[in-house]
Amino acid sequence: MGQAKKKVLVVDDDQDDLKMISMILEPEGYEVVTAENGVEALQKVESADPDVILLDVMMPELDGFAACDKLKSSPESQGIPIVLLTGVAKQITKTKYPIDGVLRAQAEEYLEKPVDPEELLRVVASFLR
Amino acid sequence: MSSTRKANCWDVMPCDHGPGCSEPCPAVLDVTSAGVNGGVNAGRICWTVPGTLCFGEPQGDFVDKQETCLACRFFLQVRDEEGEEFRFVKLAQGIHDAELLHARITQVESLMGIRDRLRARFNLDTVIAEITRQARILTQAQRSLVLVLRGRPPRLHGEFALRGRAVHVDIPFDESSAVGYAAVNNQTVNVKDPYQVPVQQDGVRFNQAFDEACHCRTDSLLAVPVHDSDGRVIGVINAANSAKGGFSHDDQWFMERYAIEVGLAIEKARLLQEATAAGRMASISESLAGLSHFLKDVAHALTGTSFIIRRAIKRGRMDEVEGAWEILDRHVRRLVDLCKDVLTYDPDRPDDICPSNLNATVADAVSLMQAEARTRAIELTTDLGAGLNWWPHSKRGIYRCVVNLLVNSFDACLPGGGRVVVGTEYRDRHAIIRVSDDGQGMDRESREHVLETFRTGDRERGSGIGLPTVVDIVERHRGRLEVDSELGRGSTFAIHLPGEG
Repeated sequence: MGQAKKKVLVVDDDQDDLKMISMILEPEGYEVVTAENGVEALQKVESADPDVILLDVMMPELDGFAACDKLKSSPESQGIPIVLLTGVAKQITKTKYPIDGVLRAQAEEYLEKPVDPEELLRVVASFLR
Repeated sequence: MSSTRKANCWDVMPCDHGPGCSEPCPAVLDVTSAGVNGGVNAGRICWTVPGTLCFGEPQGDFVDKQETCLACRFFLQVRDEEGEEFRFVKLAQGIHDAELLHARITQVESLMGIRDRLRARFNLDTVIAEITRQARILTQAQRSLVLVLRGRPPRLHGEFALRGRAVHVDIPFDESSAVGYAAVNNQTVNVKDPYQVPVQQDGVRFNQAFDEACHCRTDSLLAVPVHDSDGRVIGVINAANSAKGGFSHDDQWFMERYAIEVGLAIEKARLLQEATAAGRMASISESLAGLSHFLKDVAHALTGTSFIIRRAIKRGRMDEVEGAWEILDRHVRRLVDLCKDVLTYDPDRPDDICPSNLNATVADAVSLMQAEARTRAIELTTDLGAGLNWWPHSKRGIYRCVVNLLVNSFDACLPGGGRVVVGTEYRDRHAIIRVSDDGQGMDRESREHVLETFRTGDRERGSGIGLPTVVDIVERHRGRLEVDSELGRGSTFAIHLPGEG
């Protein structure tokens, strides 16, 4: 590939999940940067300038929704597409977070675990055309 | 005479039969009652004296005059003045024989003590067994039986032991039997010599069919309706074959008082049974929510690694296979562990209860809660007794019980901190685990609503299972949970676990 690799920031507190998502993406030609929580994600966004962000919802420190909120309200990062990943059933999440309201609108895509790797690749690719 | 002496009935009520009169009232003369409620002779416990001359006319005994007495302004005045010290009954009236006196004292004490004992019981069967035993002792009856209204159409159901065999009794809710009559008419029935007098006074009919079915013979029968707190008849408590040949007015009076306690105890046990079932459902649905979350996690990993491996094989990239396989392996192990967990979690699995060190289980639970205790400035200590190194119990179950009782006792401690002691003891072939706090304690009303307190307790802070689940676990051990609490002096919850056999 002549052009620079597209960069994906993967944010998840689970080491296995981080490793696995990286292993799905890297062989497809993506450069993967990882962060283990929302606070670290905000720092990595500045230093790495990713093309797309995959955000796990359930994380300590700053959870996925709060991190998404911050990223979308900052002029530097609001243009970066965000995909939210969660293991929590939609119904439960709805009662805690207004998924179909404000926050849902802020993230570009919302994938429920278990995530289909083919779909994940399709979604990531769709933002990088 | 001191100016602070308490008023006697003849001082308060219009009375021409006070001390010094030519025809003094029996209450004036009853020296056996001197000092009771602070009165002169029976001057402050006149309602227990037969033949008092209230309203200028001789009255009957307490059973006859109780309605008048309980509404009398002097009775209410004494009750208010004496408060907690108020004595409603008198022990030794007219009994001169030491043995009889002792028997009567035991009877009355047992009536008074029973209230607390019954209220500390949570299991309906245990409650009924205790009620039945006490009723037999109270009335010196050969057998006694609690019948509970159940089913549609309602029938009276009960069980008693006859020569070591359980006999089930099922009586229709109608007037075809003396017991049915008591329930339908909400009226005490006192039957004497039913084989000679098949139709008693008031038209009460004795039905011999039940005697025949139970292979026994009834010579005297006392059947008292039992109510719930709304006054609805929920059953009948009866006693049969008095040792004295028939049941006296006294027996009737005791049984009627007793029936009130019985009603409350049955009602509470039923409430608790419902709550236990509800708690079990809640805990199952909580477990399912947790399980579903866990399975999604595992499925997420398996889906991802399966994709990676398939793709790597297709592309001949064995290095990628290896990395994914590690993750896959870890999640397969998690699934295997989960299967083991689910098996040991099953609350109905009987071999979950097996002998091991009970003190170690209790100490584990206490050590888990130490950090929480420190943050709340609570001094949490243990006082573990000997003889419990090999005691049958479910480690996980008892651990959960102790943690739950600790959370509740922490909540009972005052905001400035407090002391909580977890003790174990071997006594009467039982292991007893006590969780005591020096917190706010509970008054009688709160104790009666202890279940409610737990049900509405702060589930967020606790492990979220609550008292009903504690009771459930304890009952799986064929044990019992008792509560002892006094306002301002803290509470003690005691789990009694039987040994083997």
